[in-house]
Amino acid sequence: MDAFEKLPEEINHLVSEFSSAPVVGDLTVGLTQYSFWLLVAAVVFVAIIAVFVKKQTLVPKGVFVNGVEYLIEYVESDVAKGVVGSGWRRHFPFLATVFFFILVNNFIGLIPGMKPGTGAIGCTAALALVTFVYFVYFGCKKHGVIGYLKSLAPEGVAFPMNVFVWVIEVFSLLLRPITLAIRLFCNMFAGHIVMGSFSIMATIFAEPLLEHFSAMNAVGALPSLAWIAILIIIYAVELIVAFVQAYVFTVLAAVYIQIAESEGH
Amino acid sequence: MKFTKRVAQAAVPVTLMLLAAPTPAFAEESAGGASILIPNMAEFIPALIAFLIIFFALAKLAWPKVLGMMDERSQRIEDSLKAAEDANAVAHEKRREAEQIVADARRQASDIVLEARRDAEAERARIIGQAHDEASAVVARAHENIEEERRAVYASSSATIANLAVSVASKIIGESLDENEQRNLIEKYMDEVGSLNG
Repeated sequence: MDAFEKLPEEINHLVSEFSSAPVVGDLTVGLTQYSFWLLVAAVVFVAIIAVFVKKQTLVPKGVFVNGVEYLIEYVESDVAKGVVGSGWRRHFPFLATVFFFILVNNFIGLIPGMKPGTGAIGCTAALALVTFVYFVYFGCKKHGVIGYLKSLAPEGVAFPMNVFVWVIEVFSLLLRPITLAIRLFCNMFAGHIVMGSFSIMATIFAEPLLEHFSAMNAVGALPSLAWIAILIIIYAVELIVAFVQAYVFTVLAAVYIQIAESEGH
Repeated sequence: MKFTKRVAQAAVPVTLMLLAAPTPAFAEESAGGASILIPNMAEFIPALIAFLIIFFALAKLAWPKVLGMMDERSQRIEDSLKAAEDANAVAHEKRREAEQIVADARRQASDIVLEARRDAEAERARIIGQAHDEASAVVARAHENIEEERRAVYASSSATIANLAVSVASKIIGESLDENEQRNLIEKYMDEVGSLNG
């Protein structure tokens, strides 16, 4: 099959397209295609919230206000109240901002031709770092710096063991931002690679038919229909993934905040 | 075959990357290499700045307002429900009172009717009794009057008849009888007749 011959090359090309390339400046100082779409998403996010704040009334009216409010309530009750607990009000702004920031970025990325800001490790690393600093800060604020460092080791473990456990806990603490960043990035990146691959496959198989109509080419193009069907299913899955990843990131941030503020564990 | 080989080639560094600690150097490798997991400053810095600006701005300007509105709403709803419940309770209480009042009124009304009937009954009996008494008094007086009249009539008529009889008898006999004797005789006779009539 001619189409299968072309495929690896095309996919390689696709993957290379997905790696960061500077639009302005270089990779150290400048903007890549991801950071460009990240800024677009940021503007969209701010616009959505601005419009929402302006439109929000005591009796919510309309699909937009109700929809945004549904999501806010979701963050409030499921993430903030459900995970953080009694101190949820103080951390709600952070959690809500993280959730919506990621959500808007993920959805922007799902629009064909656009890229998710969260599809670059740089962006997710920034978010993860902010989250790390945030929960460590509140942990230190609650227990004091020494108290927080001490609270990492569980109480009730005898002397030699608790040092050992403490070291492990410090490692797990330091791994938290890394896992947060990599999880989100890989999900968005991989999802888009898969979608890109199937759309490329659909195009490659249909290409001969578009160039020259013949029975042979028509039969050869049939798999395209299957690729398109799979593409649509994956797209639907990616819509869910976009939401779930925003949710997972926020929930984990809430869990880390809760752990940092809790009295020993 | 070629494709799977390439995927395998790409997968190895990625897996290694995931396992290993952050590798140094911003190694510019081909697409899909380990560089994919090294944050580019061009992406990290804008994301960091954008997020922090948005976070502080929204934390100050948007979220408190949004939460406040939602809190106020739930507060209002709670208050309204409570007010409705209270109003309902008051209405129930009022209704119970009204029913009580109506029941009282009914009882009082029937009491009044009963009393009135009893009073009327007594009044009727009294009036009838009085009427009876009056009637019998009237009748008695009438009887008395009649008796008196009768007696007067009788007295006057017996005197007249006696005079008439005496004069008739003296006329017939032509001789004057002892007038007083005659009169006594007649009157005695009349008395006898009267007592027979009596």
